Amino acid sequence: MSIEERLSFIIGEEKELRDILTGEEILPLLERALKVGPLAARLLDQIGTVLWGVGHVETEKVLSVNCPLYLEGEKTGQIVLFGHENRQSELLIIAEFIAGTVNAMIVNNLKRMLTTEIHTTIVNQSYEELAASEAKYRDLAEKLEVKVEQRTSDLKQAHTILLQQEKMAAIGQLAAGVAHEINNPLGFIASNLNSLKKYSERFIEMIALYRQTIGKLSLPRETAVEFDDTWRKLKMDFIIADTEELLIQSLDGCKRVTKIVADLKAFSHIDDGGIVVIDINTELERILNVLSHWIPADAVIQKKFADLPGYPCDAAAVSQVFLNIIQNAIQTRESGLQLDLETIHDRNKIKVIISDNGPGMAPEVVKRIFDPFFTTREVGKGTGMGLATAYETMQSLGGRIEVDSKPGCGSIFIITFPVSEAVNV
Amino acid sequence: MIEFDELEKKMVLKLVYYGPARSGKTTNLLKLHDLLSDEGRGGLMVLDTQDDRTIYFDLLPFFLMAPSGLRIKVKVYTVPGQVRHDATRKAVLQRADGVAFIADSQLTEKVNNSESFDNLEKNLSIVGLNIDKTPLVIQFNKRDLERIIPEPEIKTTWTPTGLPFFLASALEGNGVIETFSGLLGLMYDNIDRQYGLLAKHGLERETFLKKMTTKR
Repeated sequence: MSIEERLSFIIGEEKELRDILTGEEILPLLERALKVGPLAARLLDQIGTVLWGVGHVETEKVLSVNCPLYLEGEKTGQIVLFGHENRQSELLIIAEFIAGTVNAMIVNNLKRMLTTEIHTTIVNQSYEELAASEAKYRDLAEKLEVKVEQRTSDLKQAHTILLQQEKMAAIGQLAAGVAHEINNPLGFIASNLNSLKKYSERFIEMIALYRQTIGKLSLPRETAVEFDDTWRKLKMDFIIADTEELLIQSLDGCKRVTKIVADLKAFSHIDDGGIVVIDINTELERILNVLSHWIPADAVIQKKFADLPGYPCDAAAVSQVFLNIIQNAIQTRESGLQLDLETIHDRNKIKVIISDNGPGMAPEVVKRIFDPFFTTREVGKGTGMGLATAYETMQSLGGRIEVDSKPGCGSIFIITFPVSEAVNV
Repeated sequence: MIEFDELEKKMVLKLVYYGPARSGKTTNLLKLHDLLSDEGRGGLMVLDTQDDRTIYFDLLPFFLMAPSGLRIKVKVYTVPGQVRHDATRKAVLQRADGVAFIADSQLTEKVNNSESFDNLEKNLSIVGLNIDKTPLVIQFNKRDLERIIPEPEIKTTWTPTGLPFFLASALEGNGVIETFSGLLGLMYDNIDRQYGLLAKHGLERETFLKKMTTKR
């Protein structure tokens, strides 16, 4: 708003007597005047209009006297008194007296009006300036509030991610500890099973020799029958045949346990600590092994791995990224799951593309999947931290995770690693 | 211009005495009041002062009639010089037809002069007046004092600006009418261009100045 608009009053603006004087001021004055002689009194403006008047004028034997009124030094009206012809000089004195009073009144009223106007102008202006600065501060305060909220949320996110990472580290340590503990007994179980296999082969060989020898001997008939009956009753033929099979299976089981433990340990990267160079393809394979128990039996997994350079990183964190995304993919379908893993090496980046044929996600879900604590699973089933942690990890690596998903069309996660620092393994 | 009513044949003009605090703006008006003829002139109206310093403004009105019957009223105002009365200055400056900048010649007042002049430039633009098109004269007042800016320096500084400047000692009445007359002349030229004071109303520059500055 310009000053011109704000000012309803211009200093110097022309005013008239009717703007400056009021009846309440003038009429009592004129009425008093009548008491000392005049028959009538009038206050006229510049063009002779009666602004205020008292008393009646008889047309005969009456004369009038007048005295000028000044506004800002300019003659802008007059006081007119009517009286008997013979009292002219008296009337003149009274008129001069009234005009003098009214002139003083005009000057004072004008001063009062001007000062009031100036005051109002200044107060309005100050008010506007104050309002403007108040608005500025309110705006600042609001912005500050938003900033604080943002910061708080950032801090909360960082804190929960830290907690999650600590938890994962603890779980990794636990897994590695358990794996270590399992390894020792597993070692002697496997070794013992091997020995047992050899021993049982010897038992079987010896039993066969005994049987053969006994067959050649002419034993009493009852004894021979008892041998044969007991042999059959104890299903010795089956046992002898099965023993080896059992031991082979057990040894195979041992080997599998050993592998799982090894993968678990490798996956946790508990022994690495800090930055190590990993082969992303191997990591993906390993995660599939670790998750093998959860992968539906009829799932079809397609792998299309490119030759990748070694990638230096916090291996545990990166494995965690893959684990979280693959785990989600596996859980999208109970049957008929198709999971595609693809790695691409572009000149300065490595891309890992993980796609499933699950139900996909609505845009409003896609928007929030990287938010901490956002989960579509029922309470207690998901922490809502998996993808948030993954996102954070990729951010810290200078990479990113993108997701493309539509309801009914499955989901594609593209994880991009910058490879400026990549070295060949 | 405050008012121009062609039907009523009335023109109300405004001149403003601007400048730093205590540079002698009110004294200039007082002297004009004392020196110039009562005829065609109103009384000096002084709106409340505090310790002799103007809080609101002072007003000295002049009247004259052009041969065409056009009644011309020139209201001459002062502004309060103190920095804190800026709002009043803006209000008074509004629609001014000319400004006399009263500077204090004392060497100690150089900074105040220049700050006040900056303030004038700023406020002119705020109230929508173009400083290049508004009649403006400078008066270096208090020439009667010692330790003042020497005349050659004033000349060197102000001649290149093209702004007319006057040396005055308002208290002694020197240079006051000259300043007023200089400002009136510039204002006449400006108004004449727009409203044809001579062509339409038969008012000559000389007559206008003479009528406005008739001494007692």
